[in-house]
Amino acid sequence: MSGGHDHHSGGLNLTLHVWRQKDAQAEGRFETYALQGISEHCSFLEMLDQLNEQLLREGRDPVAFDHDCREGICGSCGVVINGQAHGPDRETATCQLHMRRFHDGDTIYVEPFRAKAFPIQRDLVVDRSAFDRIVSKGGFVSVNTGAPQDANGLPVPKENADLAMDAASCIGCGACVAACPNAAAMLFVGAKISHLGLLPQGAPERRRRVLAMVEQMDRDGFGNCGNIYECEAACPKSISVENIARLNREYIVASACERPAVERIGD
Amino acid sequence: MSTTAIQGSPKLVSKCPSGPMSERWDKHRFDLKLVNPANRRKYHVLVVGTGLAGASAAASLAEMGYRVTVLCIHDSPRRAHSIAAQGGINAAKNYPNDGDSIRRLFYDTVKGGDYRAREANVYRLAQVSNSIIDQCVAQGVPFARDYGGLLDNRSFGGAQVARTFYARGQTGQQLLIGAYHALMRQVGLGKVALFPRREMLDLVVVDGVARGVVARELTGGAIESYAADAVLLCTGGYGNVFFLSTNAKFSNATAIWRAHKRGALFGNPCFTQIHPTCIPVSGSYQSKLTLMSESLRNDGRVWVPKSKGDRRSPDQIPEADRDYYLERLYPSFGNLVPRDIASRRAKEMVDEGRGVGETAMAVYLDFRDAIQRDGAPKIREKYGNLFQMYERITADDPYHVPMRIYPAVHYTMGGLWVDYNLESTIPGLFVLGEANFSDHGANRLGASALMQGLADGYFVIPATIASHLAGRKLPKVTTDHAQFKQVEGEVQARLRRLLAIDGRRSADDLHRDLGLAMWEHCGMGRSDAGLSKGLAKIRALRSEFWENLRVLGQGEELNRELEKAGRVADFMELAELMVLDAQYRKESCGGHFRVEYQTEEGEALRDDANFCHVAAWEHTEEGGAMRWNLHQEPLSFEEVKLTQRSYK
Amino acid sequence: MISRFGAFLRSSIGKKALMAVTGLLLIGFLIVHVVGNLTLYADGDGTQFNAYAAKLEALGPLKVLAEVGLTVLFLAHIALGLRTALENREARPERYKDLAPKGRRTMASMTMVVTGAVLLVFLVIHVIDFRLADFSKVGLAKLVMERLTSPLGAGIYLVSMAFLGSHLWHAFQSLFQTLGLRHPSYAPTIKWVGSALALAIAGLFASFPVLCMMFEGQWPWS
Repeated sequence: MSGGHDHHSGGLNLTLHVWRQKDAQAEGRFETYALQGISEHCSFLEMLDQLNEQLLREGRDPVAFDHDCREGICGSCGVVINGQAHGPDRETATCQLHMRRFHDGDTIYVEPFRAKAFPIQRDLVVDRSAFDRIVSKGGFVSVNTGAPQDANGLPVPKENADLAMDAASCIGCGACVAACPNAAAMLFVGAKISHLGLLPQGAPERRRRVLAMVEQMDRDGFGNCGNIYECEAACPKSISVENIARLNREYIVASACERPAVERIGD
Repeated sequence: MSTTAIQGSPKLVSKCPSGPMSERWDKHRFDLKLVNPANRRKYHVLVVGTGLAGASAAASLAEMGYRVTVLCIHDSPRRAHSIAAQGGINAAKNYPNDGDSIRRLFYDTVKGGDYRAREANVYRLAQVSNSIIDQCVAQGVPFARDYGGLLDNRSFGGAQVARTFYARGQTGQQLLIGAYHALMRQVGLGKVALFPRREMLDLVVVDGVARGVVARELTGGAIESYAADAVLLCTGGYGNVFFLSTNAKFSNATAIWRAHKRGALFGNPCFTQIHPTCIPVSGSYQSKLTLMSESLRNDGRVWVPKSKGDRRSPDQIPEADRDYYLERLYPSFGNLVPRDIASRRAKEMVDEGRGVGETAMAVYLDFRDAIQRDGAPKIREKYGNLFQMYERITADDPYHVPMRIYPAVHYTMGGLWVDYNLESTIPGLFVLGEANFSDHGANRLGASALMQGLADGYFVIPATIASHLAGRKLPKVTTDHAQFKQVEGEVQARLRRLLAIDGRRSADDLHRDLGLAMWEHCGMGRSDAGLSKGLAKIRALRSEFWENLRVLGQGEELNRELEKAGRVADFMELAELMVLDAQYRKESCGGHFRVEYQTEEGEALRDDANFCHVAAWEHTEEGGAMRWNLHQEPLSFEEVKLTQRSYK
Repeated sequence: MISRFGAFLRSSIGKKALMAVTGLLLIGFLIVHVVGNLTLYADGDGTQFNAYAAKLEALGPLKVLAEVGLTVLFLAHIALGLRTALENREARPERYKDLAPKGRRTMASMTMVVTGAVLLVFLVIHVIDFRLADFSKVGLAKLVMERLTSPLGAGIYLVSMAFLGSHLWHAFQSLFQTLGLRHPSYAPTIKWVGSALALAIAGLFASFPVLCMMFEGQWPWS
């Protein structure tokens, strides 16, 4: 829109090492690019936009990266910046990271989220459908659209509602997996288990839910939790590792108490 | 451009039931045909888009027993842009006991929309609003609660009651996750076939009935056909025609535009909502704008300095030199006037030279008084994540420095024309959520988009789709049908054409220019002369686009530039229709403000004698050029008196 | 039920839970072990210590049972550790250039496999040194004194105890998390107790070579 202008005409000069990989099968490698005059007010993704404009002008393939809302809520974006998922800031998705966090002359390594369960599709784009598969096994309340009871018919203690909301704020970006030295998905699954398990609506199927979701999580090839807690730090929503403790508890109890016939939830 | 207006067009049969307003939806549902449970699995429904409308529709239809296929442009259905809605969702529960009712929600919505919506639709929306809340709570949506464990409400613009349910500043996210859970449950059960990273590129119409779509698989570029007995477009709005908007980068008009070009009429394309509280533009690199929830206007006070060019920092401006202009102009609604009014007044202040910030293209939204009154912790609990988001983008701390805000394109009330059943003028093509033109008239009230998306998906379409499935003979059509092959060929040809231009400018670059032209000439204040200028610019840009676009790579790979180019090509065409519609509508109403038509106080001046109708545009071609025929659906107001809106 | 338990043990959480339980029991063993060893400090000539060893020997079948149990615990703990470590490697086939810290990772938490492996080597040495050695003639106390006062022996023991401390420091607080028993209201306590315990166990064990070298049994307090 009219009226906008750059506050700083100088801007940052950066050296970027970006992971380039043609497709899932191809070999990947870092390529090096020099960028000049990047405003410190622009976001990290806007910096990549400018890189792509530059590449396009030079007749080179732009860098593919996932992004959509660019306000930290859709969970599409996510790259590893200098070894840190979503970059150096806490509680920040890549799209919310601003270039004022960097200095003139910096060298920045940009890599995709790496995990066996997140195969690379191109450059910085990875396939995170493993998360959807996990949710499809039990990350829901089995209620059909219809006429449930009045919304206030089921009081929920505020503390539980707040804790459930804390967990439910997960944006499914996968940074927890990316930052985990073991590529474990426990924070993602733990958040879902907490969100639904803390609410009375989710209680009836909590045991079947946790068994089914963990089974799928393991099948997708995520690693094991080592209680290193890098996930919590990388999470743009600061979801607490307390949720992993809850997941462990729920899983152990469910394993001990649930009847053996495990049919899928929702059948 | 000459337009032939067809009044009371036979193409536009609203199918609104008659009788007392409060009984119409019941009556209609009773009159509708049904598909018996055993037969539902024989019908195949294709849902495009997985926002609130799409996910809720797909889940509900699959639960009923229909076979459902879902296409999703993202890598996961959970990423649809509904997720970014912050403030809340309206419902007429009247839990706070402040005098709310279905009738009042209906009234507020019709009035808020400046009397350009269909009364029966709005009444239905208000009626099902309560069921939506029940449904969402049952799904485990963690709405805010008070210490008694019951649901909390807050108030929103355009209403004098607190009827907005919310989940912190992430209501859209939580509602979408609820619908996504329901959808994924059906995926897990094998009732829904989900195809992520698919972009619909065209609609396939066989014997006059929508029977499927052609889509591109975005990671490998394969062109795929999907056949069905009914097609639901739930693909959101087209605000990104302005390039800079609060919409997500994937949000685009291609699905509805392609359907439009296949025969679906486009209703009120110029009705655009400019949201008053967005973070102002800071530089030319800017890729999108970020909304600050309207709920902030509950506690924040909007002001500018009283005198022009006052460049003092806000804490240096004493109370006497501040103009809380919304409170001054609208004493009873104050800072909570509807969005269109708040936006326009902000623009006026900036135009007068009283704007603030480095660019002087902003007004203040100040929380000083609220923090003094309630304390910072209370404010943090309500808006913590919004404040944090603001600080991250601007590097200013809103607990100490007033926010700078400015209007930005946010929502499009216009969209494909649909009847009471949500069916477009192409039989078998249903349009839900923001993609249709329906319930918000010329201006949408805050916290009503979520309500409409979910109403359409959870409660309306499950009932009305039977009118098509049971009401028409649907011969079996597969993707081998000649029409699918034909459309696939056309889609391929268009992609090849985009790749072959080999010019110098990127799709984003051209899109940015289109956005500037639209913002300048078809934005908050529109005039006949300006619109004509805009039209000329759009046409020039469109020809430049087809001569000077640069897309690298091939079609058979993940190619973001090619994707963008296709979307921008459609925006370039849609922009023309928007301008045309804005020029045609010689009145001001809601978000459509024609500077020639305003009251002495600068309020929108409707012309009910000539424009109390939906303008629905039919696309035609004449010697390769686009032409539109205008069809009018008259609007009648039986329950809500047509009056000049007043929020004084 | 067997299949359910099998499924639990095959699951990522089950494996970690079993590691936690075996680890907890091993910590219990270490506490008993170190308290028993303190009898070395009771006198200058190791009479008490030898008497304690003799008492353990006299337990007969119970001692065998305890040893078998301990072996099983160690083997299970080690096997699970290796298994999960391998799975974790597989979970990220292509490594990052450099996965930089952002959160609460510690040297101890990042090196559990390494410290574990070192402790395994130490365990073998330790078993050869004392369990498999023939001390019927000189008495165990003498053997211990000899071993711990040699520079190599003392060195091995001291270094190993540093690794043990690190391993335990992460392990204790970690097992509460793994078993789902960690709660924000007492997490700081767990952390505190864990640190104290790790320091106490490793420190007391390490004190033997240090004090033996310094005083050669002539304890200043006896």
